[in-house]
Amino acid sequence: MSEADYKELKKGGMMRQAEAGLFAVRLHVVGGRLATPQLRAIREAADRFGRGEIHLTTRQGVEIPHVPQDALAAVKEFLAPSGVGVGVCGPTVRTVTACQGCRVCPSGVIESPELAKAVDRELYGKPVPHKFKVGISGCVNNCMKAEENDAGIKGWIEPRWEAPACTFCGVCQAVCPTKAIATSGDGRALIIDPMPCIGCGDCITSCPTGSMREKIRGYRVFAGGKFGRRPSLGKRILEVLRTKEEAMAAILAVLDFFREHGKPRERFGDTLQGTGFPALEAFVKERMGPP
Amino acid sequence: MTPPLLDITGDVCPMTFVKVKMGLQGIPPQETLTVRLKEEALKNVISSLKTEGHRVTNVSREGGIFLLEVTKGG
Repeated sequence: MSEADYKELKKGGMMRQAEAGLFAVRLHVVGGRLATPQLRAIREAADRFGRGEIHLTTRQGVEIPHVPQDALAAVKEFLAPSGVGVGVCGPTVRTVTACQGCRVCPSGVIESPELAKAVDRELYGKPVPHKFKVGISGCVNNCMKAEENDAGIKGWIEPRWEAPACTFCGVCQAVCPTKAIATSGDGRALIIDPMPCIGCGDCITSCPTGSMREKIRGYRVFAGGKFGRRPSLGKRILEVLRTKEEAMAAILAVLDFFREHGKPRERFGDTLQGTGFPALEAFVKERMGPP
Repeated sequence: MTPPLLDITGDVCPMTFVKVKMGLQGIPPQETLTVRLKEEALKNVISSLKTEGHRVTNVSREGGIFLLEVTKGG
């Protein structure tokens, strides 16, 4: 088998192991969620074609290690009827990670699994200059580490202040973790600075009079994060987006920007070092049209 | 009559709210309990009070310490 053949296999989720003739078979998992019939099929496949072992990846994926080369086609065929697809590797859009989202987690702001499914449907395995990871956190507690991904999303609550009932008691300012709320010069208004605001909504939950309210319960986009040898954190771009569709459109536009500007084997964060974030934001805004 | 005072400045979550809850058990609905607490306890105490149907009817401060007047719901 040639190096080119190995590369092709790797793109299709069959990764050559250190031990000659053996492969780890990566499976297609979205947001770390599998149904029990799928798990049963995976267990059976690991017993039949591997050595009865399953590897859980760092990004919510599942792999069956120790599969001999001549069994690769068979393992794929065996898993297909249970709805378990084979994953991807190489320069492609990788496993989309997500938390349980607001239907399960009391802290959740968005339905992260739903967005993960939409992103996966549209983009999983699509070719890109270098691996491209998307991670979706349902809230700013950020269990899915949005900033470690090439494109990350966080559920975000943007607050708005309403004057009538406010007594200027100072609770919102005291609880704000980034001190983003200031009193106006004349002492008759509160001003929320959107830059330091981290979208936690603590000012809203703590306000005794209901003067702090939700302006937007939506999606915050981060771009350019990665780990690996030279880690760097993604940066926040755009305004808070209101809908899943807008979030999806933003991710698509971010990816198009990467395709346009990224060199082969260059991670998106490095591409952005060259282009700068303003160029990305302008591109994405243009692509998405007026809000 | 001055409302009863509960000092939870020496407590940490979740004892802060447990004590407030117990304090409220000792008074009739619509009566007020004054709670003395540190800034760190504000968020959890107020959000729990709101969830349980009580109201914070006044807030004042003594330096870094907050005084909440809590009106019992129900």
